[in-house]
Amino acid sequence: MTTVNFDTLKAGDSIDGPAFAVTRDSIRLFCDASLDHNPLHLDDDYMKGDFGKTNFGGIIMHGMNNFGLITRMLTDWAMPAGAIHRRLETRWLKPVKPGDTIRPGGTIKAKQITARSRWVLVDVAVQNQRGETVAAGEAMLEFPQSAQAG
Amino acid sequence: MMAQAESPAAATFETDFWKDAKLRKAWDEIVPGEARKTLPYRLTQDAIALYCRAVGETNPLYLDEAAASAGPYGGLIAPPAIHILLMFACTPADDWMRSPGTVNAGQSWSYNIPARPGDTITLQARALDKFIKRERLFVVHDNVFFNQHGDVICCGRGQTIRPI
Repeated sequence: MTTVNFDTLKAGDSIDGPAFAVTRDSIRLFCDASLDHNPLHLDDDYMKGDFGKTNFGGIIMHGMNNFGLITRMLTDWAMPAGAIHRRLETRWLKPVKPGDTIRPGGTIKAKQITARSRWVLVDVAVQNQRGETVAAGEAMLEFPQSAQAG
Repeated sequence: MMAQAESPAAATFETDFWKDAKLRKAWDEIVPGEARKTLPYRLTQDAIALYCRAVGETNPLYLDEAAASAGPYGGLIAPPAIHILLMFACTPADDWMRSPGTVNAGQSWSYNIPARPGDTITLQARALDKFIKRERLFVVHDNVFFNQHGDVICCGRGQTIRPI
């Protein structure tokens, strides 16, 4: 991957994250890693029931698994340039289920120079194998004045 | 050294979220502004490694002590999103975030300094708001994580849809 540089970055530039295959095992591993053992992610019988007007039809992936994948994409992109991941806001749009393959991506939205630093705003999204957006949001990364590509 | 990486907190953490379900506050009982009970948690390298495996993180700053020592932080750090683990590690079994059927609707987090293996992490947390929208019961939660020096690691807000 080419190391990014604040001066040459421009709106519309894209960031690509790696594909992630969602399985019952990957969800189970995320339960252990996050300590979030909500039956939403573990118990198919429980998930046969309705949640208000919603029926998921089976276990679903943790929404925060999307958050972790977006974070991984952003830090892998920013850290080699000396940039720092400062903020991530996300909302979940569709459930993700075992058998899905999801992939995070980002698009540079704007750059901002402040009194003491430099910032990049990134629109982020996670899509599934059908091209549906399952999570969307916005990130903010800091490129300190001292940050050197390297 | 990595023998316990599969379940760093398994010895003490109750993974059956039904067990204490009746002790937890329902939407009706949650008071916006009221602090949640929290617990200090010592973040281990094993817990960081397990989180990294779950999301496919391979960055040596999180996993390779020699490389991390030569890097910008002078030692191993945790990925920013380690608060996903800390949210459950720093709260007791009767915390309403564990109520079965709690659906996460979205979150926003700001990052100050990285957490590090060996840090003792504390959490200040509360419900900030609750509302009803399209027949769904929402609670907004508000959280700040600190290290043992009192430095802010990260802070964030989220919305969950509460089980009825």
